[in-house]
Amino acid sequence: MRPVLQATHIEKSFNVQNIRTRALIDVTVDICRAEFTLMIGPSGCGKSTLLAILSGMSSPDQGAVHVGSFNLSELTDEQRDLFRLKYCGFIFQGFNLFPALTALEQVQVPLDYMNIPEDEARERALLALDHVGLSKRKHLRPAEMSGGEKQRVAIARAIVKRPVILFADEPTSALDSENGRNVIEILRATAKETGTAVLCVSHDMRLLSKADRVLQMEDGRLLRDERPNAVSQSTERDVP
Amino acid sequence: MISIARKTLLHDWRRFLPAAVAVAFSGVLMTVQGALLLGIVSANALYVTQSSADYWVGFPGTQSVELGRTVPADTAAELYAEAGVSHTEPLLIGSGDWRAAQGGGVSVTIIGIESAADAKGLDRVIPRALRNLLSAPGAIAIDAADAGKLSVKLGDRAEINGRAVELIGFIDGLRGLGGVNVVASLQTARTLDTALPADGGATYFLYNVKRAGEGESIARRLNNRGSPPRYEVWRAGMLADMSTLYMLLDSGAGIAFVFATLIAMLIGAVITSQTLMAAVAGTIPQYATLRALGVPFPRLRKIVVEQAAWVGLAGLVASLVISLTIALLAAIYRVPFDLRISVIAGASGVVLLVAMVACMLAIHRLRDADPASLLR
Repeated sequence: MRPVLQATHIEKSFNVQNIRTRALIDVTVDICRAEFTLMIGPSGCGKSTLLAILSGMSSPDQGAVHVGSFNLSELTDEQRDLFRLKYCGFIFQGFNLFPALTALEQVQVPLDYMNIPEDEARERALLALDHVGLSKRKHLRPAEMSGGEKQRVAIARAIVKRPVILFADEPTSALDSENGRNVIEILRATAKETGTAVLCVSHDMRLLSKADRVLQMEDGRLLRDERPNAVSQSTERDVP
Repeated sequence: MISIARKTLLHDWRRFLPAAVAVAFSGVLMTVQGALLLGIVSANALYVTQSSADYWVGFPGTQSVELGRTVPADTAAELYAEAGVSHTEPLLIGSGDWRAAQGGGVSVTIIGIESAADAKGLDRVIPRALRNLLSAPGAIAIDAADAGKLSVKLGDRAEINGRAVELIGFIDGLRGLGGVNVVASLQTARTLDTALPADGGATYFLYNVKRAGEGESIARRLNNRGSPPRYEVWRAGMLADMSTLYMLLDSGAGIAFVFATLIAMLIGAVITSQTLMAAVAGTIPQYATLRALGVPFPRLRKIVVEQAAWVGLAGLVASLVISLTIALLAAIYRVPFDLRISVIAGASGVVLLVAMVACMLAIHRLRDADPASLLR
């Protein structure tokens, strides 16, 4: 199993009303390619803080995050932006789509910022929408879509960049069970077909049976790290 | 490249409308106020603007046309000596005390003009026939709007400085700022106001040039003749602007304009910035998602700047259309409304400044688009 991301001895604390809270205590974890990794744990256990640090959106107080040859803690804000632009995809609980843009345009936007030519961007956006089963709904705006469709557009927007790592924060908690199942199937398929490392943070216990690997957190510590099933390997894309 | 700024503006136009309206409101307020003010104070330059003479020669250092003092008679000779000067004539400005058959006294300004048929003094408002009638001794003309103030009808007799005058005609377009203008021939003016020079001197000498291209060099030559100078030459437009500006500053009306402009700016900036900030605040999760996906902050800033620019432009166009409509109405109803390019340019500049300030405040709000805030 080849790790694409390695975090070692991560510590993070916050001051809330003059009380120092240790959100993460000596967390060491790696995330592997082509795996659908599920991170679970009760509210306030530090899952989201860890996700923010692993994705380079915030810095740890101590410890290091290595992705390929990058050490995220040593990068400037601009370099971290560039890193995320090139290698990371994100899916959030709120779908956060632009009300004015059609599904196709929502998916095309990240590619525009990567300076990908218009025609190619459009083609890739169409492929991504097809991958999430929405190619027939490409002309719709968010107000005309169901919650499940919106989340699938958000997934298409995240995978259209062909990210090396895909971070998902509670992607199913705003969805009914059927749409939630769909979304998880898409994330799982993305990991298998493209070799992307998918790290999904969730409360949703229904996802346990779908995960290749389960990380359980509690009180800022990683308690359990299990692989219920065998995992296939892929070598499609790597961080240099 | 998909323009998030433009697509959002079009899709969410109701949200941005107040900002565009605020910008347009500031623009219209400033333009109309400026044009009205200029229309009113430019009445101070009427003697110049209602005459078709190209150049005016007056007492050196004169700040405003009504403040002219006597220039000596030999000035005329110097003008005639210039080969490029085609036409020259004197113009007198004096004062008097008007007494009608009924009613009390009114202070009036007496304008003495040349009565020759080709005269240029006030020729834009005094047609040839009226000018001819004025050559009769004691004949005067006033602006029709001043008849009530002087309690006088056409053909009535009255007195100025104790000398008999007869109203032989009305003028349209010589209504002064508060004071009353009485137009007479040079001879009549001299008899009414004995302080006016009788030796051939005048308050102003007006002249035209044969070839427009030579005008400036002749004026320069005349202005450099004699030390200390006995007269000064101005282009008509320059003397008119000097007179308007003098009234603007002297009357305190300029301060009122500056004050109104500041209020317009403030209202525009507050409403526009609030609207843009609300628009940014409503889109923070989307912007934060773009940040998470690695879109750098300056690229998000560009979206807000583009939105502010479009809002500013829309407001500017609306302001122009409304201002021009008001100018048209003002022309129909004969309201003094002097809509100059400079007023429009100034108001447009301020309006764009307002949009820029609003944009800067909205960008400040963009700092809330922290991707980590999306993780709970």
